[in-house]
Amino acid sequence: MCDACGCHINDDATGKIVEIHQSLLAANIEQAEKNRKHIEAMGAVAINMISSPGSGKTTLLEHTIEHIGDKIRIGVIEGDIETERDADRIRAKGVPVVQLTTGGACHLDAPLVHKGLHQLENLSDGKFDIIFIENVGNLVCPASFDLGEHNRILLLSVPEGSDKPAKYPTTFNGAQALIISKTDLLPYFDFSLEEATREALRLNPELTILQLSATKGTGMEDWIVYLDSVLGGG
Amino acid sequence: MHELSLAQGLIDQLTDLVRYHKATRVVTVRVDIGTMAGIVTDSFAFGFDAVKTTTDCIREANLEIKEVAGDDLVLAQVVME
Repeated sequence: MCDACGCHINDDATGKIVEIHQSLLAANIEQAEKNRKHIEAMGAVAINMISSPGSGKTTLLEHTIEHIGDKIRIGVIEGDIETERDADRIRAKGVPVVQLTTGGACHLDAPLVHKGLHQLENLSDGKFDIIFIENVGNLVCPASFDLGEHNRILLLSVPEGSDKPAKYPTTFNGAQALIISKTDLLPYFDFSLEEATREALRLNPELTILQLSATKGTGMEDWIVYLDSVLGGG
Repeated sequence: MHELSLAQGLIDQLTDLVRYHKATRVVTVRVDIGTMAGIVTDSFAFGFDAVKTTTDCIREANLEIKEVAGDDLVLAQVVME
């Protein structure tokens, strides 16, 4: 760098050039692959749950545990910026759960989940059928980070609006299933099931779309059937 | 994509390189951004310029970005003094 004017015109001549050619994206991808193998070694499949804050991820998990927790060995990794509130709710259902707090990051990443997997093993017998990873509430950033999951499920709740698939294409494109949640609120909001479904399938024709109200129980049977298919059963 | 956290990751890597090569500072950083990587070039450059000021050996580094085919973000070359 020029000491006179601070320009960079002669850097190559005056400095030491080091060839690197290293991917800056590789680190998360590599750890995600390791996580995936780790989860498989635990006998499980992992499901990454992504949605905006307040779409009903934790509530769905609570009700899922009530439905099948005695038949399927469930473990949960919770992701939040702060607090253990979600983990406390899952713990109250008697399921091994780890709370990851990012302290600021708006998404979980593979290195954090790696730590979570070890913590989950330490507080259980380490054998699971499903490990649910409840991501930080955020419809944008989690989509870019493979955590090592086998399946990625989005929740979109009725109050959020049926235009969201069109507005968040990357997120909707990258999932295997979309759960339209809080369907008990359909009479009170301008949510078009037709629009949401059409736009989501336009982005991702392979998407499985479910509709449910965890609190009222509607649609929970179809959700359990879907989980069974993810487990390779049924 | 997370331009700011990617820029921070780059700066961490550069700091390691300075130490490894026993250099004083980084003067030029050459990065290839794939057009399908989902990274907004301006945001990445902005993030880099913002975060580099926090690290003495990087604060004067000039970032050169080349847009390439593909979906990766590659640290291609570093010039140090």
